[in-house]
Amino acid sequence: MGSSLYHWNFAPVLENLDVLWAGALGTLRLFAICVVLGFGFGLVVGLGRHAKRRWIYLPATAFVEFFRNTPVLVQILWFYYAVPILLPFQISPLVAAALGISLNSAAFSAEIFRGGIESIDRGQAEAARALGMTPAQAMRRVILPQALRRMLPALTNRGIEIFKMTTLASAIAYVELLQQGKLLASLNFNPIETYTVIGVVFFLCLFPLVQVTYALERRLGRADA
Amino acid sequence: MHAWDFAPVWANAGLLALGLVNTLKVTGAALAFGIPLGLVLALMRLSPSRWLAWPAGAVIEVFRTTPPLVQLFWFFFALPILIRVEMTPYVAAVLTFSIQSAAFFAEVFRGGIVSVERGQWEAARALGMSPRQVMRRVVLPQAVKRMVPAFLERAIELMKTTTLVAVISYADLLFETNEVAQKTFRPLEVFTVTALIYFFVIFAASTVVHGVERRLAASGEGMAR
Repeated sequence: MGSSLYHWNFAPVLENLDVLWAGALGTLRLFAICVVLGFGFGLVVGLGRHAKRRWIYLPATAFVEFFRNTPVLVQILWFYYAVPILLPFQISPLVAAALGISLNSAAFSAEIFRGGIESIDRGQAEAARALGMTPAQAMRRVILPQALRRMLPALTNRGIEIFKMTTLASAIAYVELLQQGKLLASLNFNPIETYTVIGVVFFLCLFPLVQVTYALERRLGRADA
Repeated sequence: MHAWDFAPVWANAGLLALGLVNTLKVTGAALAFGIPLGLVLALMRLSPSRWLAWPAGAVIEVFRTTPPLVQLFWFFFALPILIRVEMTPYVAAVLTFSIQSAAFFAEVFRGGIVSVERGQWEAARALGMSPRQVMRRVVLPQAVKRMVPAFLERAIELMKTTTLVAVISYADLLFETNEVAQKTFRPLEVFTVTALIYFFVIFAASTVVHGVERRLAASGEGMAR
């Protein structure tokens, strides 16, 4: 019985920590780009969804529906194959992955922004207008600061999703954690230890963030009660 | 300018249809296993016994906070060596997505069960029901109705996540798309058609979900997740 058990050996993984470190840097780079672009563009689209003019509202809605209702991996591969054909330049795996994940996250966070903005009592906008602010000023000075506080748990959740999504970039051979894990596993024939370590690394990175989300939710629940 | 030519895509429509059927097959199987497993995990997590609550909590947190692609790689490449079984891409996919979606379903179940007013428990207990009878006859029937929208939304997420199986060569819609793209040298057209197929299937499902949500809200049974 004892001889049929698998003997775990993490030494080959630990000897190649530099390979995994290079992957971790790639993961963090892609994550940072997608958070900034995804949330930034998401805010723009969210404001567009809130707009009354149809020529702003309709394109924003079409964008949100399209990117929410197609799989991210399809979007990444689409950009990877389509851009070099449609445009006169090559596209790196990083750019293709960043485009797919950022646009997908923009669509999801747009709905968070819209929900947050619409949750603020109408009287606030009216009062700000009555004080002589332009609609843009009312949005920036009065509505958004209050809405952002309420949206924080949902946005943190989105951030966690983006972090997990970065692994999809391995499908187009972008150097990130999972891609480096694939490399190590095939070089050392030790998929068990390698993928276990990768899983643990992601868990250790994200579990604290998940706890932060729970804490934020509890605090907001108390503050709004 | 690129001259779009969809003829090679139509010539291979059969392969794409086969891929779509396989996508639905994985989604259906993962739902069939994931929902009951999710209920079991939720009941364990709510149990007063730490021996039940703790392992269920660990499974739920681990599968919610690690990327699904890492899980899939672990089940496909690592598990077969560990327990010495043959692993097909289909089995690995169903196993991964069942447990992964069970972790998310468990939280939906838990939220629904917790949302049923405490007085209902006390009343049913006072009528002489055992805790198990209270759960089955009083709490779950009410909770399930409130959970329906969250369930359907999760099922849609699951369908989008199943695209990952293409990476381990299961012949789902995305995998067949890649095959057809390489065969016809028309990646742009094939990936565009596939994105549209996913969009129409998932958008139709989302529309149904929103309809159900509205009806439940109208009957006073709607619940925010």
